[in-house]
Amino acid sequence: MSRILAYCGFRHAPELVLPALGVTAVPVQLASYGELGLLWSEVEWPFDPERMQKSAVEFHGVVHHVFRQTAVIPFRLLSVFDDRPAFSAFAAQNQEQFLEDLKRLSSFVQMECVIYPAPSRPQVDRSSGKAYLEQKAVAMRSSEGFAQAMRDAVAHLSSEARVREAKNGTRIFVLVERGRENDFRQAVSAVAVPEHLSRRMSGPWPAAEFLSEQVKMPESAGAK
Amino acid sequence: MDLGRRTLLSPMQNDFETVGVLGGGEDEVSLLEILDHVLNSGVVIHGSLVISLAGVDLVYLGLNVVLTSVETALSNLQIEEKRRQK
Repeated sequence: MSRILAYCGFRHAPELVLPALGVTAVPVQLASYGELGLLWSEVEWPFDPERMQKSAVEFHGVVHHVFRQTAVIPFRLLSVFDDRPAFSAFAAQNQEQFLEDLKRLSSFVQMECVIYPAPSRPQVDRSSGKAYLEQKAVAMRSSEGFAQAMRDAVAHLSSEARVREAKNGTRIFVLVERGRENDFRQAVSAVAVPEHLSRRMSGPWPAAEFLSEQVKMPESAGAK
Repeated sequence: MDLGRRTLLSPMQNDFETVGVLGGGEDEVSLLEILDHVLNSGVVIHGSLVISLAGVDLVYLGLNVVLTSVETALSNLQIEEKRRQK
């Protein structure tokens, strides 16, 4: 059984060099809808769970091949369409919104910083509910303080930043002008990391966190 | 559900390595971060996924299952990284 696996959308231009092969080494195809280009492959479905990690890296390779050259809207891996007509219907329905987001984000990349409890931090005091909550409140203030300090430090580089609490820490997403990634890293490195917290930076990534809601969770026909 | 967790998480934890993303040596991210992004970032189609179970049936997994699992894996990875640095 085969399905249509979508990789990413981008504003198509003749000078872009597109990847030839995608997940499981199948050919990558380009579908054009006006200015919008969408990369896809016809893949055997479902994926072999034993090579899921490899498929994920191959998927990432396709998306980043284009992202190195221009802004992209990535699809999530494992989202597939029944067939070409379903994929085309989806593209036609969402083309306008995709292009709007791509224009808005055309000169930006997403940089990230995660702040999380350092493994070497003191054990959580569970002797009483009060002590536990107090300790948790201190950690939260510390994390919030860092997030704010970081936002201040990168304000001159960034048009937008978002903070999201995750199970394992605080994730800070910053929209940075393409080409200024190192400025971001330097600015973040200059911010002191609070005691008992650790920090990890990554990027550049496609600006997926800054997509409009309609693009993140679009109307779809025939998608799985 | 366990099948999905084993498939996605065990290899990540065992084979953690850095891979070049943008060609240059300075832009490196971990494999785990790549997995986190390809599964958790971008356009969601219907918010669910399908994985074969024992090559026979299809099982729908809520996307939250994967989100949670990846976050747990990231947390474990951070501890591992710290241990290696010591």
